[in-house]
Amino acid sequence: MITARKFPKITVDLEKCTVPFLCKKCLQICPTVVFHVTRVMAKEERLKEMDPRIDGNYVLFAPRRDKCIMCNKCIEVCPVDAIKIEVG
Amino acid sequence: MCYFCDEYGDPEYGNGIWYLNPKNHARNMYKLRLPGEGFKGADAGLETGVREGPSILDLINATEKGDYEEYDRMKKTMQARGQGSQVLPLKDADEVLELCSPIGLIGCICRKDVRAIDERNEEEYTCMGMGVGMLKWERWPERYKGGVKFVNIEEAKEWNHKMDKRGFVHILMLFGAPFIGGFCQCDYPDCGALRTAVDFGLGTLKSHYVAEVDYETCNGCGICAQRCQFGALKFEVTSEKANIDQFKCYGCGLCETGCPREAIKLVDRKSLPALAEVWT
Repeated sequence: MITARKFPKITVDLEKCTVPFLCKKCLQICPTVVFHVTRVMAKEERLKEMDPRIDGNYVLFAPRRDKCIMCNKCIEVCPVDAIKIEVG
Repeated sequence: MCYFCDEYGDPEYGNGIWYLNPKNHARNMYKLRLPGEGFKGADAGLETGVREGPSILDLINATEKGDYEEYDRMKKTMQARGQGSQVLPLKDADEVLELCSPIGLIGCICRKDVRAIDERNEEEYTCMGMGVGMLKWERWPERYKGGVKFVNIEEAKEWNHKMDKRGFVHILMLFGAPFIGGFCQCDYPDCGALRTAVDFGLGTLKSHYVAEVDYETCNGCGICAQRCQFGALKFEVTSEKANIDQFKCYGCGLCETGCPREAIKLVDRKSLPALAEVWT
């Protein structure tokens, strides 16, 4: 049985956050591992190697927002001010 | 009975435990993917392994909405897709490593995804790929960016024991059941399979064993409590001994291998009637 609970809304501004795999500050500071960094891969590109230094090849998102405790450490550590957390 | 043993076990081998059935390690278990078909063989690679239907994200959204019916419906759909992995204790892992070939050490995809850890050489690898699918690793340059180090059985066992010492849970991964394609070294919360299992009871089956403490031998040193990734083992203050919640226990055996006094033993899950069908 699940209990309904509002989760924080976490948005990442991809215009600002362009090389998350190299920066990785939020990924490594998050105490509950909310973030995820993944390759942007169209189906026809799945045999390609992606260079993390190229803008937009990797994207950051927050799939496990159910685990976010709103400590805001990721916001503080982000060098480009790309993360926003709102009360759900 | 274990869902996998039911389908893929053979009573002639390893007491019917599916991963000890040599047939499941045979080359022809490797499924080729037909055009237009999705996630099936080991060659699918994790990047492309986006499965159809509901995902963990949908479960989270349904929880937020308080939509229990939708939640249950989606969870059932996800369960019906079948389990993709099973926890193994160290001694069973050693037996599996004798059956499969080839064996390659590789970088972990989960640590790469959630902590941006890039394992680029054999000193760093924390994952293992196995079976003929590994021979095609060069087709997946993004997945196998850090390369592959093919090892023999003895090297593989040595590596596995090193991982056990570090405190990782061993999980056998299927890539299109019953093809065994990988052997992960997991911890909570960094490992996707283990996290999905603990948080949602999906994806990974518990092992064929559960851990039991011998209260005569246990001196309450607490080392085992640091090694449990499932929140199943804790230090019981009243008795000053280790205490295990066997319903939460995945039977990974890390507490057993970490105990300096051999006070923890793995017992057969089937020997405990209330736990015999507790696989998730």
